[in-house]
Amino acid sequence: MTIGAQVKGCYSAIKSVEASLQILTAKTNEQEQQTKLKEVERIITEVKKDLRQQVIHLSKEEPQYK
Amino acid sequence: MPEWIEVIIRSFSLLIILFFMTKWLGKKQISQLNIFEYITGIVLGGIVAIHTIDPDSNFIYALLSMFIWFIIPFAVEYISLKSKRFRDLTDGKSTVFIQDGKIMEDNLKQEGYSADDLLGKLRDNGVFLASDVEFAVLEPSGNLNVLPKKENRPLTAKDLGLKLASEKEPQTIVMDGEVLLESLANLSLNKNWLETELDKQNVSIENVFLAQADNNGQLYLDLYDDKISVPQPTEKALLLANMKKCQADLELFALATENKQSKALYERNSEKLKHAIQLIQPYL
Repeated sequence: MTIGAQVKGCYSAIKSVEASLQILTAKTNEQEQQTKLKEVERIITEVKKDLRQQVIHLSKEEPQYK
Repeated sequence: MPEWIEVIIRSFSLLIILFFMTKWLGKKQISQLNIFEYITGIVLGGIVAIHTIDPDSNFIYALLSMFIWFIIPFAVEYISLKSKRFRDLTDGKSTVFIQDGKIMEDNLKQEGYSADDLLGKLRDNGVFLASDVEFAVLEPSGNLNVLPKKENRPLTAKDLGLKLASEKEPQTIVMDGEVLLESLANLSLNKNWLETELDKQNVSIENVFLAQADNNGQLYLDLYDDKISVPQPTEKALLLANMKKCQADLELFALATENKQSKALYERNSEKLKHAIQLIQPYL
């Protein structure tokens, strides 16, 4: 597996984590927990954005593996 | 009126009166009754017993004596709720047996406790060495409550400096296959949600003996049919594992790449994820 594919895998895993967090935030009815979950979700979203850039960057670097 | 009919009428009416009187006297547990309450209970029962089987006795007398034996304990209880001094008189005071790790011999003698009795009571509380105790008090009910020294107390999350998520009480939402709407509403959930969750697990509501949900909306089931195994909710564990995996992946990428810019990006995000995991761990 090329690095590009691996990073892509990690990117999709992060997306799944983000979605799970959103489900949990929706399900909980406790204020404190909700704020914590939202904070973590925000961090995950940042990571997701960075990884997205990286995925694009890598796919440009190794176009033959696209 | 034949006597047997009179006995039936008396039994019924006295039973009903006795039922309500005991209700109004409060729901203290039998073990918590002090001697006064204990005796009033017995006397009330005795009055009822005498007057049900003796048709010659005057029924008004039964009502009168029951009323008095009811109203005085009731008044005593009411006043002792209001006044601390009265309460000390009726319920008794607690006696300190061990203070600052030292046994109070005078108090022991006053309550008629020998050293053996004290040691036995301490052992009831799981303490075998009297010097492990910081403070012990004999309650009016006869129980000895023990506060061990700090180093002998069980370890708590506070001692370890752990931060834990607060947890609300779980609600029982299905009992014997019947949905309890009130507890569902307490979790701000509805019947639709329950049906969806049950469908997800492929279980029909008639087969559910007991279902409980916590405030995160996780459902725990027990079925009538014990051959069907119900999966426990793994959502949270899975989420944490996924986050950890992503973080490990990022660390790996950071090690593998030689591009400085990419390396910095991986490292930064790995740190972020690590922080996120620390934040969320108490809740999962």
